[in-house]
Amino acid sequence: MSARLWPLIAAALLVLGVLLSLGTGAVWLDPALLAGSVVSPKPSLPWLILWELRLPRTLLALLVGATLGLSGAALQGLLRNPLAEPGLLGVSAGAALGAVVAIYFGLAASFALAAPLLGITGALAAAALTLTVGRGGTLTMILAGAAVSGLMAAGLSLALNLAPSPWAAYEITTWLLGSLTDRGWDQLLLALPFLLAGWVCLATTARALDALTLGEAQAESLGIDISRTRLLALAGTALSVGAATAVSGAIGFIGLLAPHLVRPFVGHQPSRVLLPSAIFGAILLLYADVATRLIPTTQELKLGVLTSLAGTPFFFWLVTRLRRTAP
Amino acid sequence: MSTNLCSDLLLLMLVPKERIASITHLATGPAAVLLPGAADGVPTNRATAEEVVAQVPDLILASPWSATALRRLAAQVNAPVVEIDAANSFADIRRITREVGQAVGEPARAEALVAQMDRTLAELAATAPERPIEVVAWNGGDAVPGQGTLTHAIIEAAGARNLSARLPGAAAESFGLEELLAARPQAILRGADRFDAPSLRDSSGEHAVVQAGFAGRQIIYPATLHACGLPQSAEAARQLRTALERLPPGDVRW
Repeated sequence: MSARLWPLIAAALLVLGVLLSLGTGAVWLDPALLAGSVVSPKPSLPWLILWELRLPRTLLALLVGATLGLSGAALQGLLRNPLAEPGLLGVSAGAALGAVVAIYFGLAASFALAAPLLGITGALAAAALTLTVGRGGTLTMILAGAAVSGLMAAGLSLALNLAPSPWAAYEITTWLLGSLTDRGWDQLLLALPFLLAGWVCLATTARALDALTLGEAQAESLGIDISRTRLLALAGTALSVGAATAVSGAIGFIGLLAPHLVRPFVGHQPSRVLLPSAIFGAILLLYADVATRLIPTTQELKLGVLTSLAGTPFFFWLVTRLRRTAP
Repeated sequence: MSTNLCSDLLLLMLVPKERIASITHLATGPAAVLLPGAADGVPTNRATAEEVVAQVPDLILASPWSATALRRLAAQVNAPVVEIDAANSFADIRRITREVGQAVGEPARAEALVAQMDRTLAELAATAPERPIEVVAWNGGDAVPGQGTLTHAIIEAAGARNLSARLPGAAAESFGLEELLAARPQAILRGADRFDAPSLRDSSGEHAVVQAGFAGRQIIYPATLHACGLPQSAEAARQLRTALERLPPGDVRW
């Protein structure tokens, strides 16, 4: 039943989530005023808020969530490791470092798109480093990813340590917590081409990932070019996660959670997990973003904090289950 | 010896620089703009306890939240510590300026600075506009300064009305873009200093809706004069008055 049911559940959740996201916020949008402003040439307050703030934010939540879900699913397939996610390969940390460098040196202040651009550069650099150092096997790649993550984290700490203005240090920390508040169309449009390019790279690995479930040697004997697959997966992750992180800050656990959530519905074949995982990643992040607006806190509750808080128990559950099933 | 940016600046105004053991390294930038030449050649410190021992000053100006190690060592080298708390109103500025003036033995100089500030304030009050313009100091973050802050006092002194004063307390703590648009201030004030190191605060106003909606309605204010209560904070009010007079008439478009 499940295989045919999940698209319906996903569609219903998506529609509800989008409506919630557009309707939730600090300011109540009067539907009558909103309808009136469609015909009126003068911008109205509800229209400005809906069009300039909530719509880009909602779309970004969907795009970033889908990116994290898709790359998580692809990496779990590639590395045959249920704990794999973009963070594991140092890509998220690289993107964060790139964006932080933009804040730190004031590039973000002089032109607004510096943070996303440098974020993508950082993600690509981290991915390239992981790929070069970790050539030769899946385990080596995970280790290289850990080393690159460590290096990028050290770079982040250095930037914090030497931050020239107390404001910059504060911003770097809060930025790292991840948020989609007050993002606009320009950020969305800048990230979009990179997101799409990354998605295409990840999608093309689908068949190879299926073969990889048999093991690397067997996959190669089936005519799969493993190093090409690795390159595609890593480049796809770097492009899409780099752009996403640069816009939203670091958001964890979606990439880990989404593939596990959909497997009971669609089975364990990696190629069949990719699309549902992207869709559920989008749904998860959208609802998390709505929740940050609904949970009443004096200071804004950051999206990355919420996903980590909600995601960690799941991580524990995953570890205990692995321990039980492991021989 | 001064271990806090605000007392650095007060000290530079009150005593000749030969008498200053050191000021914090943070003060060089602001001092160069606010008191040109005054800090040239004055040694700088990083407000550490070691420097207290090394310099053995006659007096240490510190904020109430300065390091406890510094206080302990100051007691050991017999240097009295004078605590300078933060100023949240012009009354506070008068009190603090006089306190520091007393402590460094320049009460007359302190009185003169206070009198000059009061002249500026009186002049501004006498020429206040009939209909105050509603403004808000918004720096792209969550909180906007409300009642009981120096920024509020400066806005009032400039003859404008602080929008956040009419918000309930908690609302001033979380004031994002949506609230900003909904509140429809006639101008937004943005803290910046020529000597500030770059930070994202400068670019967060770059959201297209702020750029378009508040075109010509953004006023840059000297952040140091809002953070530190100094006699010059009255000048910040005068600058704000001038900037407000140049605003386009009427309300925002929506």
